[in-house]
Amino acid sequence: MKRRELLLAGAAAAGATLLPRVAFAEANRIDVYTSSDANITDFWANTIIPGFQKANPGLTVNWVDAGDGAGLNAIGDRTLAAFQTKKDPQADYFESYDPNLPKGGLEAGLWTDISKAGLSNYSKVNPLAIQTGFDLPYRGSQVLLAFDTTKLPADQAPKTWEDLVAWIKANPGQFIYNRPDKGGSGGNFVRRVIHQANGKDPSKFTTSNYTPEFGEQTLTPAWAILNDLAPSLYEKGAYTSGNTQSIQLLAQSVVTMVPVWSDQILQAIDQAVLPETTGLVQLTDLALCGGFSRSTIPVNAANHDAALKLADYLLTEEVQSAILTELGGFPGVSWDYISEDLRNKFADIVPKTIPTFPGGDWEKAINDGWYRNVAPNIDRNA
Amino acid sequence: MTTVVERTEAPSTTRNGRGLLGLLLVAAPVLLMVWLIMWPIISAIIGTFWIEGADGSHRLSIESYAFFFTDQYSLDNLYITLWTTVVTAVLLLAICLPIAIYLRFAKGALPAYVQGLAIFPMFVPSIILAYAFIRTIGPNGTVDIMLNAVGLPKIRSPYLTPWGPVIGLVWDHIPLTVLILLSGLGSVSTQSVDAARDVGAGRLEVFWYILLPRIGNSILVALSFAVLGIFSAFTLPYVLGPAAPEMMGPFMQRTFRDVGDPLAATTQAVIAFGFCIVFGIFYVRSVAKNRGGAR
Repeated sequence: MKRRELLLAGAAAAGATLLPRVAFAEANRIDVYTSSDANITDFWANTIIPGFQKANPGLTVNWVDAGDGAGLNAIGDRTLAAFQTKKDPQADYFESYDPNLPKGGLEAGLWTDISKAGLSNYSKVNPLAIQTGFDLPYRGSQVLLAFDTTKLPADQAPKTWEDLVAWIKANPGQFIYNRPDKGGSGGNFVRRVIHQANGKDPSKFTTSNYTPEFGEQTLTPAWAILNDLAPSLYEKGAYTSGNTQSIQLLAQSVVTMVPVWSDQILQAIDQAVLPETTGLVQLTDLALCGGFSRSTIPVNAANHDAALKLADYLLTEEVQSAILTELGGFPGVSWDYISEDLRNKFADIVPKTIPTFPGGDWEKAINDGWYRNVAPNIDRNA
Repeated sequence: MTTVVERTEAPSTTRNGRGLLGLLLVAAPVLLMVWLIMWPIISAIIGTFWIEGADGSHRLSIESYAFFFTDQYSLDNLYITLWTTVVTAVLLLAICLPIAIYLRFAKGALPAYVQGLAIFPMFVPSIILAYAFIRTIGPNGTVDIMLNAVGLPKIRSPYLTPWGPVIGLVWDHIPLTVLILLSGLGSVSTQSVDAARDVGAGRLEVFWYILLPRIGNSILVALSFAVLGIFSAFTLPYVLGPAAPEMMGPFMQRTFRDVGDPLAATTQAVIAFGFCIVFGIFYVRSVAKNRGGAR
């Protein structure tokens, strides 16, 4: 009988796990969703979360990695669906998101107007970074070119697009960028090419102006440029599957130059993943894309007040200085609110311009177009 | 996997009560399978033919399949998946058959260690395997460093080429293939091999006339399992493979999430399922044949 009882208990337990579970957001636990890389996760886990929880006893932060942009969009869709059906979205805070997504969310009133939410530190936000009141630009970063100064002296590094193309062609196999959907460093390199193919005018592309015809017209010449480069890339047209793998190839001295995120590369150099001899350069004719990471807060968040407290905390000098020193990013607040010695120390990486590229439909068109038009162009027998 | 060599008694049908109990016992797993596997398959197949329009109306159409089979990019992806499957399956047999035969007939303590080594890949998650491969056979990896140390040129790294996933998948599937082949070889009696040797058969003749006819079924089952696993592989082709052509696993995932086109992704899944079912039928037939023979 004992064996039978055990079997029955086991079956009951197994059955219970199949029952639909009703989950609710926990009180005073801020569910933060992100699609950012591991360095951001580390920064939150080691700096922001402990600091915030210390400053606000009783509140905790639950950091959830949604994987990638598409994963975060799924959470955005869920939040909008919960908003329409007046349910708990189980998401209180989006670490870096676009308030124009999901479609119709902003019009329906999904996102909190953070500029009017009474944050004590909101006035410090850099006016150049503000796009709408519905997002909070709390950190910035930009794609740069990282290279090995032992193979390419810093004073010979390409500084314009034409120089870069000439260098890549003169040094076949020494440049690689990652697949545009797998990480922003390769993604923004591809976007820089799209800008190049369209008169270097970032204002040509907006969130709402994508149509299949306009996409075809603007993207086709960009594919031509990339296909022209392909035979001179690593393995005559191979592409890594992420930001980290590109840095890995640079670290293993396989290639000489890769596009990288400024925060990721500064951290990699700081942690000695890459040697001190790593050089950084930005194109001067038109910089590679970058932008501010914009936090959004859904109005239906179960812990809305706590989420606003978190947003306010991110703008404190403590966090904003740490973004510079520990993360290698740019602060979201004006430079006046950063201590003088830090201001001088980081003067070089402070960007003068940060071109941007809209997401949404453009992103889909660029990613799938790249896979269909650029990726297959590889000559393995050569 | 051992079902192949199992010789089960024909079920007793003497009393109705026992038959009913048997049916009740299998009802739970069968229902679970219908709910979690059969139904999704059927709904996927229906959904790709009975297409929902933007206004919510439905129409019968094969346009989704027509697109797949006229789109060179999709066909290239299907082709690379078939190529990877065939090459990996052939390599698997070539590697695993000698190991299994060795383990079946060798004596002493060494075979235990060989078996342990052959089963080891089963306990290594494929994402860890993928990064380990980049470190060892990737560009400037361990192999290159060792070759360089003795003055030899670097290897041409398979990383980011179609051979990357092949090497990873072969390594990943060795344990299951060896175990299935080993269980098949269990049905070959040592006496029959000895008898053949006595009349002067060489190693090759023993293999060809004695071993192969007995384990044909196991080979088929091992191949079916390997093919099903390779066809649906995701992590290894994603990390080790080239950007294009993609294998069906990463291609489906990208179509579904990045491109946001569930219909095309389902169509790709149904097509992949169509190829896999052929090997599924092989497997079911060989099991059924075995059962039938036992009666």
